[in-house]
Amino acid sequence: MNKKLTYIYLATLLLLAFGCNTQKESEKEIIPVYSEHIGDTPFDPKLDDVNFKFCDTTNVLHHRGRISYTGGTPAMEKELIEIYKKQPEFESFTGYFFVRFAVNCKNESGRFRWQIVDEDFKETTCIASLKKEIITNVKNLEYWNHPIYKGESHDGYTFLIIKIKNGNILPS
Amino acid sequence: MKKVTYIILLCFSAFAYGQGNCLLYPEGSNERKACELAYKGKELKQGSKASQMMFDSIIKLNPNYAWAYMEKSVPYFKRGFILEGLQLLDKAVELEPRFHLTYRAYWYFQNRNYKRCIEDLERYYKLPNAFIYELSPGGDKDMRILLGMAYAKLGDYEKGIQTIENCLKSYQREDDFGLTDYHTLGMLYVKNKQYEKALKAFENQLKITEDYPDSYYYAGLAYKGLQKQEEAKIQFEKAKDKFLDSYHIRNGYLCFKVYYADVIKEIEALSDKS
Repeated sequence: MNKKLTYIYLATLLLLAFGCNTQKESEKEIIPVYSEHIGDTPFDPKLDDVNFKFCDTTNVLHHRGRISYTGGTPAMEKELIEIYKKQPEFESFTGYFFVRFAVNCKNESGRFRWQIVDEDFKETTCIASLKKEIITNVKNLEYWNHPIYKGESHDGYTFLIIKIKNGNILPS
Repeated sequence: MKKVTYIILLCFSAFAYGQGNCLLYPEGSNERKACELAYKGKELKQGSKASQMMFDSIIKLNPNYAWAYMEKSVPYFKRGFILEGLQLLDKAVELEPRFHLTYRAYWYFQNRNYKRCIEDLERYYKLPNAFIYELSPGGDKDMRILLGMAYAKLGDYEKGIQTIENCLKSYQREDDFGLTDYHTLGMLYVKNKQYEKALKAFENQLKITEDYPDSYYYAGLAYKGLQKQEEAKIQFEKAKDKFLDSYHIRNGYLCFKVYYADVIKEIEALSDKS
């Protein structure tokens, strides 16, 4: 009988301990992980071109307005629309691509990352071929001008918003 | 008087967008601590790890502090993280729609989501305690001008014009007009083929500033629409000269912008005809 009671006692203790532990797990605070600056994009071998290098990794600017495209936004959008090879299956997509990337002091672009959202800016997906078409085309834009700040050349981050309606890229 | 009004509005806007008055909260309360921490953290670089962590500490102290969510969202928007930015700003809007709806509308506009921009601004102006003279975050234009532009961007020029006309009518004095208000109205008149009205608007615009090449360009389009080729050419040439002038203004009204190449194209088209 004593042995039986001991087992019940031990089982109760275990249950309590497990219960407490579970509670602690659920109450555990999720600590967000931040990069030194929002948008810092370290090299990812699965995504990035090894040949793209920053000129000065310690000072990459986060100032979109300092990066321009030769001929301005209209020239860049014209190029994007001209090289876009629309497929019939793209027509089911309406939404936006937010494509972030860096331009180094040699005017090369790299470290591309993106978010795809619907008309209400909710996260969404699209068919792989459309995603490939858009991202490849953005990567192929060649005429970026790096940031110049206080008379000196810098690397910098920027982003593009590509608005698509029924598979067609809309100019801004 | 308008300038005084704007300064007052800007101050009020700074208060509305600012951390608030910490003394309003009971001493020793988490709300007070969060508010004071917000003031201390003002020196941190926007978007830095230290800054974002500071916002987390503030929100932990006061999870209902709308300003902190809004302020934390800013670098995300500025750097192309639409999902993260909106997640934070939505929370600020949920807590204090009166103070943050227009800011979200502004970002919707900047990110070319005119439909959502209109929804937010229409909702804002229906609030019983909406500010009549609510300005854009930079303080340079009435949000009703932005609303008018959003209608226009979706192709509803009539509604855009009506919104801006009503906004301008609500101003008390001539110097109440913002730097590009008349320009924006004139531009929408041109889009809507109301050329005579457009020219009148540009006449008023030039009294405010002569440094927008865009105003001459659109005036040129208005003359062109009226079949007055010579006058049109004069305006396009003025636009060209202004673009080449080192002192000219390049931003301020956010849509239907004009580029140097547009002007040259019009000049060349008119030259081919003559």
